[in-house]
Amino acid sequence: MKTLVQEVIEAGGGESIKACYQCGTCTGGCPTAGEMDYTPRQIIRMVNLGMRDRVLTSSSIWLCASCYQCQVRCPRGVRIADVMAALRSIAIRDGITAAKPRAPAFYQSFLENISAYGRQFEPVLILRTIAKSREGVAAKLGFLLGMLPMGVTLLKSRKMPLRAEKVQAIEEVRRLFSNAERLEAEG
Amino acid sequence: MSQRYAYYPGCSLEASAVEYDLSTRSVLKALGVELEEIPDWSCCGASAGHAVSKSIALALPARDLAKAESMGRNVLAPCPACYKNLRYVRESLSDEEARRKVERLLEGTGLSLSGSSEVRHLLEVLAGDVGAERIAEAVTVPLEGLKVVTYYGCYITRPGGMRSFDDPVEPVSMDLLCRAVGAAVLPFTRKTRCCGAPVMMSAPEEMHRLSYEILQEAKQRGAEAVVVACPLCHHALDAAQPEIEKHHGALSMPVLYITQLLGLALGLNPFEELGLDRNVVSTEGIVKRFSKVTCSR
Ligand code: SF4
Ligand code: SF4
Repeated sequence: MKTLVQEVIEAGGGESIKACYQCGTCTGGCPTAGEMDYTPRQIIRMVNLGMRDRVLTSSSIWLCASCYQCQVRCPRGVRIADVMAALRSIAIRDGITAAKPRAPAFYQSFLENISAYGRQFEPVLILRTIAKSREGVAAKLGFLLGMLPMGVTLLKSRKMPLRAEKVQAIEEVRRLFSNAERLEAEG
Repeated sequence: MSQRYAYYPGCSLEASAVEYDLSTRSVLKALGVELEEIPDWSCCGASAGHAVSKSIALALPARDLAKAESMGRNVLAPCPACYKNLRYVRESLSDEEARRKVERLLEGTGLSLSGSSEVRHLLEVLAGDVGAERIAEAVTVPLEGLKVVTYYGCYITRPGGMRSFDDPVEPVSMDLLCRAVGAAVLPFTRKTRCCGAPVMMSAPEEMHRLSYEILQEAKQRGAEAVVVACPLCHHALDAAQPEIEKHHGALSMPVLYITQLLGLALGLNPFEELGLDRNVVSTEGIVKRFSKVTCSR
């Protein structure tokens, strides 16, 4: 069995995670730490200790805004933001998404849209996210209703695309996806 | 002295950030910089690529960068997230293992990547390649008396842990550009504090809180506008401002793209060339002060 820290390194989190000395600088500068169930400092420690379930089911990995403030300040060169991204990719791969189901559904829908059109298309992105998000019907409806005012705002400013911009050579883009899948499967 | 770039607009600039695309094209044209759009470009994967797998995060921007290379040009990207992703692929090429990986990711597409094209952010081109002096010379309507704060956000100053063209703690590129066209840049402590846009899905109230803090400080300091160079920051600060106001109280703070601000000073048409009627928070007061064209249609 691979340890969690090995998995994180393979997924792009960097060897330097092992060098963390728990100073807390990362947490101090983190804009969303107050809302996380474990702070960035705690997450790094928990990864090093192999607390797989608690880390992957935490809200922290989805509340990380990838702002890189922690990473540029860490005195030990720990790539905290990259560790968070690596954890998200492991959680998505293993289907562990209950903490914040909309965020992983959004990321996956985002890529499905690229595979379909080659570019992003917001109206379909939102609908796909709602369909994919593992939450109750009431929560899905609430989400849709919550998005409506923004939709109206964007329509009024003539900024809501009504037709998808498509890549002509879409088979090239799909080839990228199948190549990436093959490489990930090889590990 | 003509400068040419392979232009990578990115998906936002075709949708919620149309005014950024329009004003970028107009301002660069006025400055004699030539943009040639990368033909049939595809999405860079934004933050979703990295969230799903390292391979897809490399593969998507690799296609665009390979296309730019065949144009024999450096890339200009106005969106800091695209800029970061394209640069990430290019800088990965210096690692032999990653280079082989990229080669395999491009298999069957007929494309190849050598790293010959550099990736530049719009601000880097404006403040560096073009330069504040040349922009100052082109000014026809100095923005005298206009008080602004500059907001850089995350990926301009911290592009995914890579080195930035600007200072990560005290960035200056946008400040220099604003001053070059006569605007007054006020001190601002939240220049590089995250706007929260990336947690829009997981915690919208967090995004609103972080954006509110930025807008509130701008207001307290007496700014008449916040100037940005990122479509995501613009979305969080401008398009979501009515939503923020519902929770935190009135703000009415215009948020302009740097190119909209520069374009006004260059005497460009505020609507047809700069899209200042597409911002959600009204820019009317500023347009009336600095342009004779006051009706959008
Ligand atoms: S800043 Fe770096 S060394 Fe300090 S706790 Fe965070 S990860 Fe560990
Ligand atoms: S990258 Fe994530 S963990 Fe690090 S400071 Fe930003 S939000 Fe916090």
